[in-house]
Amino acid sequence: MLAAIHLLGRLALIRPRFAAGYLIVLTVTILAILAPLIAPYSPTEADSANFLQPPSAAHLFGTDNVGMDIFSRAIYAPRIDLTIAVLGTLLSALLGGSIGALAGYYSTGHGIRVWLSFAVMRAADVIQAFPVFVFAIALVASLGQSIQTVVLAIAFVNAPIYLRLMRSQVLSIRSMRYVEASQVNGLSDFQTIVRHVIPNAMAPVLAQLSINVGWGILLTAALSFVGAGVRAPTPEWGSMIAMGFQNVVTGQWWPSMFPGVMLAITVFGFSLVGASIEALADPAKRRQLLSDARQRDRKKAAVEQPSLERI
Amino acid sequence: MRVLTYLAKRLAFVIPQLVGIILVSFLLVKSIPGDPAVLMLGPTATPDAIAGLRQSLGLDQPLYMQFFIYLKNLLHGDLGTSWQTTRPVLDDLIQRFPATLELVTLSLLLAIIVGVTLGVYAARRPNGWIARLSDAYGLSAGALPDFWFALVLIFVFYTVLHWAPAPLGRIDMVVIPPMPITGAYTIDALLAGDLEAFWSALSHLALPVLTLGLLNAGPILKMTQATMEKMLDSDFSRYEVLSGVPQRLVVRHALRNSLPSVVTIISVLYGYLIGGAVLVEIVFSWGGAGQYAVQGVLNSDIYPVLGFVLFSAIFSLIVYIVVDLIYVLLDPRISN
Amino acid sequence: MSKFTATLERELDARVATPAAPLVAIKQLSVEFPGSTETKQVLKGLSLSVQPGEIVGLVGESGAGKTTLARSILGVPPAPGRISGGEVVFEGRNILDLPEPELRKLRGRRLSVVVPNPRAELNPTATIGKQIAAMARIHLGVSRKEAMRMAFAMLRDVQIPDPERRMNAYPHELSGGMAQRVVIAMALICSPAFIISDDATSGLDVTVQAQILSLLERLAADNDSAMLFITRDIGITAHFCSRVAVLYAGEIMELAPREDLFLRPAHPYTLMLLAAFSHSPKLRDAWSVPETGRRETSAKGCSYAGRCPLAQEVCRERPPPLAEISPGHFARCHFPVVDR
Repeated sequence: MLAAIHLLGRLALIRPRFAAGYLIVLTVTILAILAPLIAPYSPTEADSANFLQPPSAAHLFGTDNVGMDIFSRAIYAPRIDLTIAVLGTLLSALLGGSIGALAGYYSTGHGIRVWLSFAVMRAADVIQAFPVFVFAIALVASLGQSIQTVVLAIAFVNAPIYLRLMRSQVLSIRSMRYVEASQVNGLSDFQTIVRHVIPNAMAPVLAQLSINVGWGILLTAALSFVGAGVRAPTPEWGSMIAMGFQNVVTGQWWPSMFPGVMLAITVFGFSLVGASIEALADPAKRRQLLSDARQRDRKKAAVEQPSLERI
Repeated sequence: MRVLTYLAKRLAFVIPQLVGIILVSFLLVKSIPGDPAVLMLGPTATPDAIAGLRQSLGLDQPLYMQFFIYLKNLLHGDLGTSWQTTRPVLDDLIQRFPATLELVTLSLLLAIIVGVTLGVYAARRPNGWIARLSDAYGLSAGALPDFWFALVLIFVFYTVLHWAPAPLGRIDMVVIPPMPITGAYTIDALLAGDLEAFWSALSHLALPVLTLGLLNAGPILKMTQATMEKMLDSDFSRYEVLSGVPQRLVVRHALRNSLPSVVTIISVLYGYLIGGAVLVEIVFSWGGAGQYAVQGVLNSDIYPVLGFVLFSAIFSLIVYIVVDLIYVLLDPRISN
Repeated sequence: MSKFTATLERELDARVATPAAPLVAIKQLSVEFPGSTETKQVLKGLSLSVQPGEIVGLVGESGAGKTTLARSILGVPPAPGRISGGEVVFEGRNILDLPEPELRKLRGRRLSVVVPNPRAELNPTATIGKQIAAMARIHLGVSRKEAMRMAFAMLRDVQIPDPERRMNAYPHELSGGMAQRVVIAMALICSPAFIISDDATSGLDVTVQAQILSLLERLAADNDSAMLFITRDIGITAHFCSRVAVLYAGEIMELAPREDLFLRPAHPYTLMLLAAFSHSPKLRDAWSVPETGRRETSAKGCSYAGRCPLAQEVCRERPPPLAEISPGHFARCHFPVVDR
């Protein structure tokens, strides 16, 4: 644990953009948790006398067209967006990943398992051929509009990605000798998967998870924007943007702009975290990072040397 | 002759895929609550009228029968009727799909220009400021929500600067749209020699194309940069340098060799954008096919949704087949 | 290396160049390869001159630095190599100092390289005819038609069978021998003054090798070009090189006119190379030392000391300079084999 933090700290110094990513994700998470303590106003309380006020000392981000304080709503929104996106993504990884691993394992051999694994791959093809947004919105419509169904929509839409990822991991690991060796040693299929496949798959899956959480937030916001996701007045960045839509055209930019900027920065942060995991996992990029780190250390040492000699 | 057999083989694969897609979407939209008969006749309808309509629509049949009836109608060119527009879905889509296609195609062109140019520059000087800018651009472009970015552009270019027209559709309200030949206002206006309609349509296309084009250039940029770097580092590029070939030619040859990968990503993006332009269509009241489908879902009008999925799937498949043929032209090693 | 030996080396280098002005003078060329832990010196202050119209052979085993030398002469060491010192003087100018666009005008036009394993080096998406013609168009500025005509003539010259068809062929459709001829055509179409042939016959069938060799010899003579003929096979150099150099671990170990090298070899490494062809097993064993496993060249001392049967203490302590042991015959050894 400490080693991981130490590694991240050094990473931050060589590639500041990755540090920025982790910082953003951390900040948004803190906002989600501590929103009730930080927000000056209630996120759903409307002060109809003071609607559409531009940003001021009293209302940092201004007020929207029913008088709700945008700043408070904007920092309450991560609770919804983040929760939905994280849950949906984790679900998609578990669902897609386990099916994918099995599909990879039973892709050769005999009997009905091979057929099933083939059918599963074709089903994944079909799901991925769907226009993503229409698919998500149809899922939400058919299951009833609620937070849970948005989570399910995200899970379904992203499951094929993990399905393919785990399947290719299993297929590539299978061909390696040490897996055969472990099978000879009498380990069951399940144990083989757990022991060999999962550790190797960790890095790409983690990177994908992080990026997907970002996409999940975008999808949630998009669904809410058209009215098929989180319902008003629950604070959510997408629905806030929708509420301020007409106002932008007439010149009151703040109800839509602030939530949009926060949304963009958050998704950006998750993308950076995903990119940093990719960089650590990919051997070529890791070498580059290490050599940059060593260069930094050498420069630091060169600076520190003269002072030692003086003593 | 070889091309024909190849096409025939691809089409044979395509049919079951299409049936699969239609099946899944059929099941999906059928599970959307809302009785179409009630929706079509309105709240004042009598139970008898509703029952009668249900029977004529075939809604009293079991689900698998309904599916077969739908497939049978498809083969006759009948995609069902939208109760919102009261017109056949096929007619609605023939009107709306070209609107989406025009928007998406122009956006894709913009994305290609931005993505390939930046990608090539970034590959030539991997440590230069353009490369760093491209990295940042690639990451941020994917993070921005398109519906919000469209709003930003509207605010800047319409509300503040008054350069762009109001985001209310494809053409000025006072201008008569050109005779529909292709369905794309710009092309049809040029074909009819109607310059006023042409400029009006073009000005209305500006902001949505900017939105979609700039935000989707990321994948093209990354693929171009990665492939170009590989090509510039390859043995044959080094040999060209060794033989004294000037750098601009070396880059050109490397680009030529990078085309297959770049074309792949463009084709994937093209298929994706047909459905992915939905939000931009909604923001700009575009009247496109994606917007049509979303309205269908929100109002339990299922045939528009099915029709849109079908159109978009067929379009993607056509794009992939065309791309495969392009590969044969691009890479001499494949044709054997 | 001490200052004294450095000066001595430079004086000898000056004499390595024969009295008339050389066409190409490589002076103290050093190339290093940065690695993950340390930097490896692949070429260590190598000096060599080639007279106009002369064919100089260079023999070295794998890893000795042949390809590094071939490409570094033109300023493009193989990745991730860097030229760390030295000059290549061509027509009075150090071409390594030239700006890149200037250097490109010389490459392929006045100095060119024939590369080994050419199928990987040719552009996979352009026809052979276009690639050869491109050299003429870029360097000689001729029209497209004229360039294609010259390319076709070149293909006939290198004796490619069925040249009309081959003009429109792609690299992957060629055999190794044909691809080698194409690369020779590309290197010679502008009639360069200096040709570097880098292991041009590696991987080819013996009969094809012989054809390629005689082809190179004839084309060089036809164009009055000088050539640096780099190879792994010392026997080949006896064929048509007037002088032969022996390369080991980035340094020239011996340099002599052909007869001197083959009849009176002085360096133990040369003797080992020649003995490998001998019929006498005793002779072979006398000159080769079994690999001790470590191919590391020591930082000080002679780089061949680890494999040399004549090595003494001083060989591991001090690096020997390239000394002239008889007119025109140089050896880098503390104990060159001089008696016969």
